[in-house]
Amino acid sequence: MRAAAPAAARATVRAAVRATLAGAVIAVAGAMALPAAGQDPPAADPSSDDPVARGAYVFAAAGCLGCHTDVKGGGTLLAGGRALETPFGTFHSPNITPHPQHGIGAWSEADFVRAFRDGRRPDGDALFPAFPYGSYTGMTERDLLDLRAYLFSLPAADTPNRPHDLDPPFGWRFLLPVWQWLYLERGPLADDPSQPPEWNRGRYLVDVLGHCGECHTPRSRLGGLDRDAHMAGNRAGPEGEAVPNISPNPERGIGAWSIGDIELFLEIGMMPDGDFAGGSMGEVITNSTSKLTAEDRRAIAVYLKSLPPQP
Amino acid sequence: MRTLTILAAAAAVCIAHAGSMAPALAADPLAQVKERETLMKKLGGGMKAVGGFVKNEGPTAADVQAAAAAITEVSTVDPRTVFPEGTAIGVGDSEAKPELWQNWTTAEGYWNDLKPAAEQLTAAAGSGDRAQVARAMQAVGKVCQTCHEDFRLKK
Ligand code: HEC
Ligand code: HEC
Ligand code: HEC
Repeated sequence: MRAAAPAAARATVRAAVRATLAGAVIAVAGAMALPAAGQDPPAADPSSDDPVARGAYVFAAAGCLGCHTDVKGGGTLLAGGRALETPFGTFHSPNITPHPQHGIGAWSEADFVRAFRDGRRPDGDALFPAFPYGSYTGMTERDLLDLRAYLFSLPAADTPNRPHDLDPPFGWRFLLPVWQWLYLERGPLADDPSQPPEWNRGRYLVDVLGHCGECHTPRSRLGGLDRDAHMAGNRAGPEGEAVPNISPNPERGIGAWSIGDIELFLEIGMMPDGDFAGGSMGEVITNSTSKLTAEDRRAIAVYLKSLPPQP
Repeated sequence: MRTLTILAAAAAVCIAHAGSMAPALAADPLAQVKERETLMKKLGGGMKAVGGFVKNEGPTAADVQAAAAAITEVSTVDPRTVFPEGTAIGVGDSEAKPELWQNWTTAEGYWNDLKPAAEQLTAAAGSGDRAQVARAMQAVGKVCQTCHEDFRLKK
């Protein structure tokens, strides 16, 4: 959460408000698409010829920033150190800048792909699923290599990693292969040919890059996602927050929301009743969904509306 | 005597430098949480109408003008009245995080950002132009969303 980065957060809002008031570029498609709020250089562009620009877009869609930056403590970009509280203990995210010792600067392309696809470090150790590779495993090879190109274009930080504070048996890394055997469905995720491209894109953005289910789907006692309750909500979400049902159940979920309602929510955080999302979803909107193209937000909405309603 | 005067002067300078005073303790915390929720609902109602206009779902430009007026009115309420000390999570059904008071200058700043944004919304509503209203709505929404992201925990 960005709570204690007052000056920076405030400056950003102020700048964004000024930029929008000044009337930056606007593409009003169906009177809906609003201009994206400030993007970080290099400009993220999913259709660029430059792998770094494409990777910047993957980075936004996959929401890597918040978990790997200690915004609260004024930490360096992607230098890790953010404390992530879970029912299994506290994780301290690692440095993922291209620093050769403290970051991932020495990782080859194959090493990088393996971390996401198989949840393994270059030395073969299994990674904790607090790094949501259970979702990222579905990423395409191209998106992974673009993402690596983007990360390696950023400045290296020499911040050392901090060990996690986990409760046994969850702190036992050697048990992770069992977890992986139970829960990891190795990707990449293949398109469903019976569905239109927009739906497939939506599923990829929701279930793979956006890892929405990591918060919105309840977990088993071993911390695996309960796939039968896809998007049914989770009373005990990250940092003790209640995460709502976002399946199309008209009463308990977002069945009453129109496609346009969902698009507007993902862009500016506004719900149909005029309330605004906060907490970790606010962070998802700021860092991730507000930076997507209007077509991608629509694909997410179309996919969410197609899911089976959950009680 | 002289020391006292100097101390008093120093204190006055400190207060002036802080630029803003921390909110006073709530007299009736439960009632004040309710009051805050009523104010917030008014903001929400306003934004709902604006969103309806932008999405072309019924509300008219006149509705947007009324909504902008309501938001402007709420934005002029002193933030110390909206967020008195002692009304954080734990009091009634408050969803306000304790961080709101620990970072008071930031929180107060967000609140004060509402008014200029609401004035732009009023101007846009006068034009009746959907794109202009959409832009102004986004600017107001950014203020709401940022404060909720930092200082509200949905329960
Ligand atoms: C929900 C929080 C979260 C998100 C989102 C997240 N990570 Fe991580 N990541 C972690 C944690 C926690 C670890 C440490 C896992 C461990 O120690 O086994 C980690 C580990 C890693 C590692 C291994 C580093 C090492 O030294 O072992 C890499 C690389 C990485 N993340 C990159 C990324 C990228 C790129 C993204 C976006 C696509 C991302 N992460 C998104 C929390 C997250
Ligand atoms: C880090 C956890 C987290 C992740 C990841 C996450 N969400 Fe959320 N989401 C939340 C929380 C918490 C709320 C409730 C926020 C509030 O009401 O203030 C929420 C609310 C929502 C809502 C509004 C539901 C309602 O009834 O109010 C929608 C829609 C939504 N999320 C969609 C998504 C999508 C789509 C993704 C993936 C791109 C996503 N979320 C990823 C935590 C998360
Ligand atoms: C200075 C911070 C701040 C700003 C700015 C702000 N809010 Fe809030 N809002 C809060 C907090 C904190 C709560 C939780 C209050 C509580 O539960 O006591 C809240 C709660 C709400 C609620 C729920 C009320 C209920 O029924 O319990 C709505 C609706 C709402 N806000 C709408 C808005 C809208 C719309 C805007 C922008 C026009 C906005 N808020 C601007 C801090 C803010």
